[in-house]
Amino acid sequence: MTGVRAVEQWAEAPLANFVRESGARLSLLTTTSGQVVAQYGFTRSIDVMAAAALGAGVVASTSLMTQMIGEVGYVKINNRGPGQGIFLAEFDTPRGKYVILAVYGSGSSAGLVQLFFEDLVEEITSSCPAPETRRVILAEDFERELNDNLAALFGRK
Amino acid sequence: MSLVNFTNKEITCKIVYYGPGRSGKTTNLLYVHSQVPTDRKGKMVSLATTTERTLFFDFLPIELGTISGFSTRFQLYTVPGQIYYNATRKLVLNGADGIVFVADSQARQLDENLESMRNLQENLLAEGVDIRTLPMVIQYNKQDLPSDLILSKEELDETLNFREVPSFKANAIAGEGVFESLKGVSELVLRRLGEEAPG
Repeated sequence: MTGVRAVEQWAEAPLANFVRESGARLSLLTTTSGQVVAQYGFTRSIDVMAAAALGAGVVASTSLMTQMIGEVGYVKINNRGPGQGIFLAEFDTPRGKYVILAVYGSGSSAGLVQLFFEDLVEEITSSCPAPETRRVILAEDFERELNDNLAALFGRK
Repeated sequence: MSLVNFTNKEITCKIVYYGPGRSGKTTNLLYVHSQVPTDRKGKMVSLATTTERTLFFDFLPIELGTISGFSTRFQLYTVPGQIYYNATRKLVLNGADGIVFVADSQARQLDENLESMRNLQENLLAEGVDIRTLPMVIQYNKQDLPSDLILSKEELDETLNFREVPSFKANAIAGEGVFESLKGVSELVLRRLGEEAPG
């Protein structure tokens, strides 16, 4: 067991290696629009989505600001607090751009996280498959299931 | 862009509430947040100014349940409605699977609604997305205001609903029309997902 929960299985081993080597407490791999691909250390799947949305937002806005001042290249941000640090970076793969967010404590450092981030990019680039072309097959009456679920969610059942 | 995991059978979709400033986008999310049980929703994240106007986005993830064997999640976002926040609006639109356009039904706000719809079209085009192909519903909010101040659904449809997408009357503060709008866009998003191969 790696402790990593991966929505896309190809991301599990690279993220597990990154967490083990860098000593990150929490780690999150997302698309640039904030969709979670794999995560380590978050306890509620639904909270991880908030972190993913915020991380993607920070990367997107920083990327735009760097373009405005004429800089090119990928966003890489490190914020070190008294107790913990946050490392946030975007990178490209054959499958498109991704964002990594890592939270580290006193057992690690910004340098260590950045060092193993380079390895993570290499591993993901070599292991990720081409984008899926499979189609979601929905039941003919999926609207009924959808409506039942929404009604239950809104206490209307 | 929705994320589909065929191994774990999970679908995650991004729905963006768009519209002019003060039309009620955040109010929609607040109502959804107030209705959904704790174990089926995440924390609502709001990046707002000190005067509680949306600065970057509001975000609310909800667990919808199982649909056709897929565990389905929706991520609900709002954009800042004020004109000068267009750069951040564009960022939030990135990867949207569906749009709920929240219009202000007040007659004096008609130009703002039109400008926001035009702005949505431009921002989508800049991302290479044709507004005619993206699942969208329109919500006419504030229909509870006195009738001499607001336009009817038919009048608003005439001006704003050139695609003839599903449209709903709403009073988002009281929750009227919020559920119907979310249901409407969810159906369109999932139907489209079933029609197209994910990228």
